[in-house]
Amino acid sequence: MSGQHSAVTIDAEYCTGCRRCAAVCPVDAIEGRQGEAQSINQQKCIMCGQCIQICSGYASSQDDFYDTPRAIKLNERNMPLNLREPLFAAYYRGDFQTVQAVLSGQRFHTIVQCAPAVRVAIAEEFGLPLGRLVPGQLAAVLRRIGFSRVYDTNFAADLTIMEEGAELVKRIKTGSTLPMFTSCCPAWVKFVEDQYPDLIAHLSSCKSPQQMAGTMFKTYGATLDQVAADKVYSVAIMPCTCKKYEAGRPEMKASGYRDVDAVLTTRELAYLIKAAGIDFRTLPEESFDNPLGLYSGAGTIFGVTGGVMEAALRTAYEILAAKPLAEPDIKRVRGETGVRHVTVDVGSMQLNTVVVAGLKNALPLLEQVRAGQADFHFMEVMTCPAGCVSGGGQPKMLLPVDTAHSHRQRTTSTYQHDAELPIRKSHENSAIQKLYREFLGEPLGHTSHQLLHTHYRSETRG
Amino acid sequence: MKQHLNSFVMADPQKCTGCRVCEIACAVAHSEHDHKTVGTMDQPLIPRLYLVQTDQSTMPVQCRHCEDAPCLRSCPVSIFSREENQISANEEYCIGCKSCLLACPFGAIELGGSSQNNPMHRVIANKCDLCSGHASGPACVASCPSQALRIVDWADERKRKQIAAANQAGAVIKQFRSMGEE
Repeated sequence: MSGQHSAVTIDAEYCTGCRRCAAVCPVDAIEGRQGEAQSINQQKCIMCGQCIQICSGYASSQDDFYDTPRAIKLNERNMPLNLREPLFAAYYRGDFQTVQAVLSGQRFHTIVQCAPAVRVAIAEEFGLPLGRLVPGQLAAVLRRIGFSRVYDTNFAADLTIMEEGAELVKRIKTGSTLPMFTSCCPAWVKFVEDQYPDLIAHLSSCKSPQQMAGTMFKTYGATLDQVAADKVYSVAIMPCTCKKYEAGRPEMKASGYRDVDAVLTTRELAYLIKAAGIDFRTLPEESFDNPLGLYSGAGTIFGVTGGVMEAALRTAYEILAAKPLAEPDIKRVRGETGVRHVTVDVGSMQLNTVVVAGLKNALPLLEQVRAGQADFHFMEVMTCPAGCVSGGGQPKMLLPVDTAHSHRQRTTSTYQHDAELPIRKSHENSAIQKLYREFLGEPLGHTSHQLLHTHYRSETRG
Repeated sequence: MKQHLNSFVMADPQKCTGCRVCEIACAVAHSEHDHKTVGTMDQPLIPRLYLVQTDQSTMPVQCRHCEDAPCLRSCPVSIFSREENQISANEEYCIGCKSCLLACPFGAIELGGSSQNNPMHRVIANKCDLCSGHASGPACVASCPSQALRIVDWADERKRKQIAAANQAGAVIKQFRSMGEE
């Protein structure tokens, strides 16, 4: 499985050349004349999957006038062979069959993690209202599908905040490269590597929550379960198509093995659930497994634009101001506008932050940074228009009229989940505290540096 | 008693990009459940309008609700009728003989799929029903990202064109007169 494995593609047989995808592609990677089948320039593509979400060039399950039989298409796309939903021209090659085969065999100790945005979207694939919040049913269904351990990316999001918060504070105190950019979004990271290699030093060296979780599962997690790391098969359920690429990056093997073996999108998880014959609507609510499944509200808001910033501020404030943050809601960083500048008084200084939703909106800011004119310390960028809740691997709306509504409902549910959780700040997560006590030492320490941080590269392809 | 002409949906090939959202919207509007996501769509998408792409034109084609409807005249079991300014089909009684398919000059009728309510009928005639029963009107018109579709109500259409023609002529004559006065 390489990075190429996950490329986003347009099927010329189904594409009518309407070019609506070209209008949403943040890197102008879609090429072709109006009315003719389009193709994706793989050198430019950052695999965000927004073209997949907007594509309406479909083939229905009964259509028999295409040259290539449907069964061949399903196989090419690594989808369930008995799938009845319509296929679309823009697609990604999935991992459904691969993961199903691993789960049906008994060779591996399977560990699964689930991104924040999955718990506010998976229910939609079973006819429940858009944005329905279902963390308990999600944990329950992953267990019933057959995963040995049901852990959570949200835990790793808390871990990311510990490292990234410490990194930001260190950069400010030592006067090293600022502004710092978030590094959770793999499409954004790839974009900086491809298009702004001179600004790579601004990217946080922190791995994304997916990769931090993967590393922890095959080290600390394997030890807890008393299994050898090479017996662990690690699966990530993601709202994102680019996460498949990220997991396949050659440097992502800090545990000594590939840290994340397979990535399934939210849609692919729904295929697994249906293939297992589970009625999602009647599942009981269960918990994620401890300790790598325990999370704070800060971890869960990673799924929405502004969430990483808000989570980081909840922790960075307490470090920089050296006093507790009374009100964890920092509503000024939330919202739907593409660029949001927010200044936060952290006692000793004014922290200038920027939140960017939709990659194209970052371009003027990157030019400012390049020109040395940036007046901010920290920038969050999410490639997708509303953050991960609107990712390329999320349930696809049949009609464009429902798209914005789905993003809003998923966002609302994410903040509702945050508000209802007993712990709201990453550094107050007891499982995180225990992990540092027992295994990692301190944020930015030696073990963290080896397992949780990475280097970027300026070549376009690895 | 003078009857109103039948209305129908018409696409503007100048605006249509060929995206097929109208087809999906049509299929969803005529499916039994309120499908929101692709993953819930566990049955074939069966639209009642069809995108046509040629060198000359890109647009969906659908029933014109003809005044002297060939489908209505051709059907041996009289499933078609004219009511509420449209040609409607009572699919329940369709025997799948394909006479209407042969008769329709627009290719706007499709035989296919079996009605889920009537498993007895393996094939049935499907055609545009102007989304009768849907409060928001035809789903194709509402869903088009390019606003390329509209309902043609011939009385309104004539009125609108007559007003435009009168305004245009009025402006020309006014201009001509004012030139004469100088």
